[in-house]
Amino acid sequence: MFIETKDLKKSYGEGGSFVQVLKGVSIKIEKGEMCVIQGTSGSGKSTLLNCIGGLDTIDSGTVSVAGTFIERLKGEKLSDYRRDNLGFIFQFYNLVPNLTVRENIQVCEYLTKDPLNIDELIEVLGLTEHQYKFPSQLSGGQQQRCAIARALVKNPKVLLCDEPTGALDSKTSRDILVLLEKINRQYGTTMLIVTHNNSIKNMVDHVIYIKDGEISKDYINETKVPASELEDL
Amino acid sequence: MGWILFKRSLRDLKAGFARYVALSLLIIFSIHIVVSLMGAAITIIDCTESSDSELCREDGEFSVFVPLRDSELSSITDKGVSVEKMFFFDHPVDGDKILRVFKVRESINKISLVKGSMPSSDDEAVIERRYSEVNDINVGDKVKLDGKEFTVSGIGVTPDYNTVIKKVTDAVVDSRYFGLIFVTPKAYDELYAKGENLSSEEYYYAYLLNGKMSSEDLKSILEDIKFDVGDTNDEYFKEYWERMTKRKDDLLEGIDKLKDGAKELADGAKELSDGSKELSDGTGKLKDKMPDLKKGIKKLDDAAGKFEKGVKEYTNGVGKVASGASSLSKGAKQLSDGTKKLNTGAKKYGTGMDQFAGSVDKMTKSDYPYVAGVAKQLSDPANQLNGGYKQIQNGISGVNSGAAALSSGAAKFFEGVKKLNSAGKSLSDGASAMHKGTTELRKGADKLSDGVKELYDGTVKLKDGAKELADGAKEYADGVKEFSDKANDMVDEVFNIETSNLMVFLEHDVNPRIDSAADDVQINLSASIIFGILLVMLFAYVISVFIVHMIDQESSVIGALYSMGMKRRTLIFSYVSVPVIVAFISGLIGTLIAIFTPIGIPSQMEDSLGYFSMPEMQVKITPFLLIYGLVIPPVTAFIVNVLVIRKRLKKTPLSLLKNEQKAVRGRDIKIKGLKFISMFRLRQFLREIRAGLTVIFGLFMSLLVALMALNTYVYCNKVKDYYTSQTKYEYMYNYKYPTEEVPEGGYEAVAEGLQKEIYGYTFDVTVLGITKDNPFFDTGDLPDNDTDVVVSSAVAIKYDLKVGDVFTLTGENGDRMYAFRVSKIIDFSASMMVFMDIDRTRKLFRESDDYFNCVFSDHKLDIDGGRLFSTVSKSDIARSSGVYVDMMGPMVITMSVASSVIFLVVMYLMVKMMIDRSSFNISLVKIFGFRNKEVRKMYLDGNFYTIVIGALITIPLCKWIMDYIYPRYLVSNVGVGISPTFTPEMYLIIFLVIIGLYLIINFVLTGRIKRINPAEVLKNRE
Repeated sequence: MFIETKDLKKSYGEGGSFVQVLKGVSIKIEKGEMCVIQGTSGSGKSTLLNCIGGLDTIDSGTVSVAGTFIERLKGEKLSDYRRDNLGFIFQFYNLVPNLTVRENIQVCEYLTKDPLNIDELIEVLGLTEHQYKFPSQLSGGQQQRCAIARALVKNPKVLLCDEPTGALDSKTSRDILVLLEKINRQYGTTMLIVTHNNSIKNMVDHVIYIKDGEISKDYINETKVPASELEDL
Repeated sequence: MGWILFKRSLRDLKAGFARYVALSLLIIFSIHIVVSLMGAAITIIDCTESSDSELCREDGEFSVFVPLRDSELSSITDKGVSVEKMFFFDHPVDGDKILRVFKVRESINKISLVKGSMPSSDDEAVIERRYSEVNDINVGDKVKLDGKEFTVSGIGVTPDYNTVIKKVTDAVVDSRYFGLIFVTPKAYDELYAKGENLSSEEYYYAYLLNGKMSSEDLKSILEDIKFDVGDTNDEYFKEYWERMTKRKDDLLEGIDKLKDGAKELADGAKELSDGSKELSDGTGKLKDKMPDLKKGIKKLDDAAGKFEKGVKEYTNGVGKVASGASSLSKGAKQLSDGTKKLNTGAKKYGTGMDQFAGSVDKMTKSDYPYVAGVAKQLSDPANQLNGGYKQIQNGISGVNSGAAALSSGAAKFFEGVKKLNSAGKSLSDGASAMHKGTTELRKGADKLSDGVKELYDGTVKLKDGAKELADGAKEYADGVKEFSDKANDMVDEVFNIETSNLMVFLEHDVNPRIDSAADDVQINLSASIIFGILLVMLFAYVISVFIVHMIDQESSVIGALYSMGMKRRTLIFSYVSVPVIVAFISGLIGTLIAIFTPIGIPSQMEDSLGYFSMPEMQVKITPFLLIYGLVIPPVTAFIVNVLVIRKRLKKTPLSLLKNEQKAVRGRDIKIKGLKFISMFRLRQFLREIRAGLTVIFGLFMSLLVALMALNTYVYCNKVKDYYTSQTKYEYMYNYKYPTEEVPEGGYEAVAEGLQKEIYGYTFDVTVLGITKDNPFFDTGDLPDNDTDVVVSSAVAIKYDLKVGDVFTLTGENGDRMYAFRVSKIIDFSASMMVFMDIDRTRKLFRESDDYFNCVFSDHKLDIDGGRLFSTVSKSDIARSSGVYVDMMGPMVITMSVASSVIFLVVMYLMVKMMIDRSSFNISLVKIFGFRNKEVRKMYLDGNFYTIVIGALITIPLCKWIMDYIYPRYLVSNVGVGISPTFTPEMYLIIFLVIIGLYLIINFVLTGRIKRINPAEVLKNRE
């Protein structure tokens, strides 16, 4: 299994403010799969993503990605794990404000010895005419495409997307999802998308529902539709 | 990636240009000031050292009464020591000026020409630099000395007159009135021969030891060189010599008297020995006779006992007699009284008998015969009865008379016996006392006998002791005779010191004329190092605040990069690069300005060049300067940034993504009862407490610098004011050869220069013995013992002494220590003085009863100049005290301006950062409808209280710190004891300046608040 969590538990706070966010989550995701993790606000979906991405520590259980048990990693090794395996896409892009689109992508190009071709990536993502613009000169969709390009340039094995369309309008959201679908097809990148958007589940291979820190549904989507045909985004 | 992130940094630099420019200005300004101060100090110190070496600065100098003979000179030079004549005389110029005339030097203390050339002819001369500058003399000008005109061929300096003072005891340079001139040997001799000089020629020699011997060795050799008193032309010395030789005669006379006295003592001791023998013999005899004496006394005692007993018996008898006499007297008196009554009764009886006889007679003549007959019969017995009665009456009368006599006699007898009885009692008491006395005498005789025995033993010992004394006294007399012979030799030897030709021996390191510029700038060097450290700390802190602000702003971006595997090291270097570059470039610019422009090191050197006589100096660029200017700023920026960033980037990527802020204790306090604006300001203050503290820290640093300058200003001004106002005498004459009589109108004093060390420097403290009527020092009654002294406030402040403290002073040669106790401190800052009664001072320093070496007066006295070491007038003091203000003025201004600029920049940077950080909130409140004025009140005016509170804390704190640092590190080499206390007005002015500077910044940044566009900020946020 490419990504696997077993009995993953995560809590925050102590005493009166103690919250058990993940209550023994176990999931399995195949390599090259597009997987959506859905749930209401506070259900623990972002926490699960952060645990898989090595951004957050876990209380118990295991998380393995591409054969690496990340709960055993610390410090530099954790950084190396993220550098070698992961790409992140955030709801609010988090681009370096005083770097151009191209430069923002170049920042991550240097994190790997075998990066993707930036020009090609820029073209694929439709950023050619914006590549010398600064984030503040771009629309939300363009900024998110830049963020995707930045995440993809190092050719990660896994792309972790936290509400990638959360800040975008319907049309732009669709464009971004089409792009992600295209990347998945083109580069075989395993994708884990956290969203509360109910339509996105229709375009992916694997759907996981999480409710109150527990997996409520986990199934393979046999009837997936292309992102371009998604409705109610 | 590094390059890409570096690009980001460069764009950040561009975006925050104003901020970086301000930061850069702060660093440039700081580095410029520090490197200038430091560079000037280092240049002067280094150049002094190198010019000393190049010009062969003397290792020391000495003067002699008469010039050394060639053979005497050879005795020194043959040992490898170089010696060159530095003879000079002072010559009047233009009435009130003096030029000290020297021959051009050959190998020691060579002239360094600033302009022109050395004299090539006998009518050319080189003028000392400071004199030429102050008196506007240039190469080619003419200088007239005693009618002889010299053309100025050059202007130069010499290392032995770095400080051009007339006498080594002079306090201050006054180049307008005193300078040096160097002429050819021939011109020198001709000029001196004219005799129009102010003083006789002084025979000074400069020496270089060349490592061949020590100064002590040389001094010892020189002391052994004798001279004939007749060779000297100094009449005052001759007079002094006569007085000294008179003392020698007195001493020799005293030794002779001692010898005679010792002989007399030996004779007396012999007589004493003989007398003791006689005494011993006599006492022996006395001892032998003592038993007889005791026996006699025993007999006497026994007799006295018997006598006492007899007297007692006698007195008892007399007592009884007295008792009988008393009874007799009483009986006699009763008898007398009875006879008196008998006599009276007899008289009455007689009268009755007469009447009866008369009646009988009448009856005889009665017509009645019977009657007559009877009567006739009765007539005869009546007559017989009457006759008998007459006889009885006569008898009674005799008895009566006898009884009266008996009574009177008995009374007298009784009185006599009473007296006898009384005397008997006294006799009895006396006999008892006598007996008691004889008994005591007997006991005393026993003791006397013992005492005589002891006396005898004692006299035997006395006899032996006296004999020994006599023998010892004889030996003593012989010893004294021997001593006398040797003492005569010794006195000759002691007084022979005065016949040593050596007059003055001064090593270069204690010569105030030499290397004084280098010593003086040590203060600047210390100040600049402290200043430099403070500034580096300040800008490091400012940078750290920026970085924290920047990381907080970019937290989510950093988190994103982090989450994709970017390492902390990479990010650290990215964030560090710009501050480091800015710090480096700013440091470079500051250093370049300091080194290569006139407003840098050269301007800081002007103070010294305007006072000391120094050669041309090229700015010295030492590794230390370059390290401070070029390395320390970027390295500091790097270290501070790395430390701050590392701490911030230790957060997890998630924490950074969420921009989680650590809860700061105290920020969550509940605020109740305040109006909205006040509550908001308080919240804003708590939120920006770090920036607020930075402003206060900046204020603190700036104030330290400002107070360093202001302390100097106050210090120098107090020197100027106090020296003039507290000097009450008009003239002080220090004698080289004191007279016997005090000049009329003068108040004599004994001044003895002692020394005391503090903070690594040793200063002269003058013990001044003054007369009670001296009107120039308000000492009140001087202590009447040898240890208590009155000290001037200069001494008390310099050495931190209080009343009751005990302190010690060391003699000039360090060979003797004097301990004193402070009994009173008087307000006198003009000199470091310890006041004593003149007689006690003379006694303390073993001077004669009429000795004095200093005279004060309120008018000029007629004293021959050759007799004096120096004359100090009040006008000299006033003039010299003002020099400090002139010298330190530029530094005070520079530092005051620097501190203001630093404070302005720091405050601007921090307040601007606060506004930047709050820009989103400001835009929000604008959207809510707050007006610009209200926004300013909420976000800007709250800083006013920060500044006020900060000023109220930092002003006294900085003053306290600076008052601690100042005497220890900044004026530790200055022999002045003045407290740089501020007046309340000064504190108020400092406070108002701070508020004024704040208002300037407030005004500038109000515009920035106005320019914040709500929509734009919201867009950026989205």
